[in-house]
Amino acid sequence: MAKVVPTRSEVLFLFRSLLRTARQFSDYNIREYTKRRTIDGFRQNRTLSDPDSIASAFSLGKAQLEIAKRQAVVYSLYAPKVKSIMDLKPCNSI
Amino acid sequence: MASKLLASTLRQTLLSKFTTTHHVRPLSTAAAAAVSADYHEDTDGITMKGVKISGRPLYLDVQATSPVDPRVLDAMLPYYLSRYGNPHSRTHLFGWESENAVEAARSQVASLIGASPKEIIFTSGATESNNISVKGVLHFYKDKKRHVITTQTEHKCVLDSCRHLQQEGFEVTYLPVKSDGLIDLDQLRSAIRPDTGLVSVMAVNNEIGVIQPMEEIGQICKEFNVPFHTDAAQALGKIPVDVEKWNVSLMSLSGHKIYGPKGVGALYLRRRPRIRVEPQMNGGGQERGLRSGTVPTPLVVGMGAACELAKMEMQYDEKRIKSLQERLLNGVREKLDGVVVNGSEERRYAGNLNLSFAYVEGESLLMGLKEVAVSSGSACTSASLEPSYVLRALGVDEDMAHTSIRFGIGRFTTEAEIDRAVELTVHQVEKLREMSPLYEMVKEGINIKDIQWSQH
Repeated sequence: MAKVVPTRSEVLFLFRSLLRTARQFSDYNIREYTKRRTIDGFRQNRTLSDPDSIASAFSLGKAQLEIAKRQAVVYSLYAPKVKSIMDLKPCNSI
Repeated sequence: MASKLLASTLRQTLLSKFTTTHHVRPLSTAAAAAVSADYHEDTDGITMKGVKISGRPLYLDVQATSPVDPRVLDAMLPYYLSRYGNPHSRTHLFGWESENAVEAARSQVASLIGASPKEIIFTSGATESNNISVKGVLHFYKDKKRHVITTQTEHKCVLDSCRHLQQEGFEVTYLPVKSDGLIDLDQLRSAIRPDTGLVSVMAVNNEIGVIQPMEEIGQICKEFNVPFHTDAAQALGKIPVDVEKWNVSLMSLSGHKIYGPKGVGALYLRRRPRIRVEPQMNGGGQERGLRSGTVPTPLVVGMGAACELAKMEMQYDEKRIKSLQERLLNGVREKLDGVVVNGSEERRYAGNLNLSFAYVEGESLLMGLKEVAVSSGSACTSASLEPSYVLRALGVDEDMAHTSIRFGIGRFTTEAEIDRAVELTVHQVEKLREMSPLYEMVKEGINIKDIQWSQH
């Protein structure tokens, strides 16, 4: 199966979209994890040169973006009123 | 007759009185106060059990249960919505699609442990799998096999199943563990008898996180041709699990310890050489008659997705959890003396850090750490004030066993959470030690073990 190798701007767009979606998670731990996993995943795949593995990493990333978009909505629907104490820290220190 | 009538009238009046009061209770002010005092949540914070917390505590108890990964929930949700079919329905699309999903999940679970999908049976959790393994095997081979070997640090459900077997006349050997929590292989070898029907040793301990030498135990069991069962609930997805390398005949797995849903687990049952069990649950003959009852499609799909994720993320998670564990341990040790790691430091799963703080009372420490969700050991026994039986089996002194705290680090734990946990723990331990006369005496150079307490 011939996969289409993404362009540089397509990869960057996916990266930014993932980070943007990560920020929408109401849950502290999930939000931080999604950010961290995105950054680490892209860093890890930075050295990929084989077109096939680039294409499959890109389609995996796109699938993850779709999941993240859906789940950010689900999490927002059932977000607890009280935030994690990790989210309150800036308010406490002021 | 009259007395009978009187009694029945009395009973009726009492009963009606009781029911009326019962109905009124939720409306009475006392009950209303009790409800609101027990739990209250608004944007300012949570009040529960008399404790007020400004935000949701940071979670460091992943050995008790782990949060569900959003990717797992994403796989599950369709089976809670339109795809609600019973996987055992053979006559329509709803059944077929559910069956396909269950079989796909079975393959995902099997692939994580190096087994064939045919060897996986879905259950309600590791407790049920352990019960089927221990009681099922012995009941099936009861004519020839009358003896079980297990360890003193096993999970309650294995120990309790063994106790149940003892009541039926089977014999059980509870192997002691060394001070690092590992079993002595020579002791295991000498405990095996011709009528030993099962050896059950857990892979990763739930309280102290030590990893037993599974391959070596499997080798010994192979040598004596004894079935080997392991409770791998805490090992799955965290350390490499391979049923061939470990030579296990039965293995218990759990969904909610690997970022999957609660209420689902699996049992690995070897086909070659075949191991047979007596079912604990009789009925419609689902799961090849070994575990009757409708397979819960959404939960099973969640467990499958969690296993696939675990396979994909194991290396990444392991590296991260290791560094977080070091950060936590170094942070605490830098500022506090008298901190002891319970269980072997080399052969342990990094995500479980069981620490004892000398001269501090464990329950007061836990009470003070309301913003950190940790426990003193297993969730099953954390309600009692008794020190953990696992720590006692290790030979940990009573005073140190009372001060143990288990820090569980998982996929979603952040560096900032570890730093906050260290800060809060150090603060609380220092505060408690300041109040402790024992700590003062130790600082003055008195050995508290030599003190003759006058009233003892």
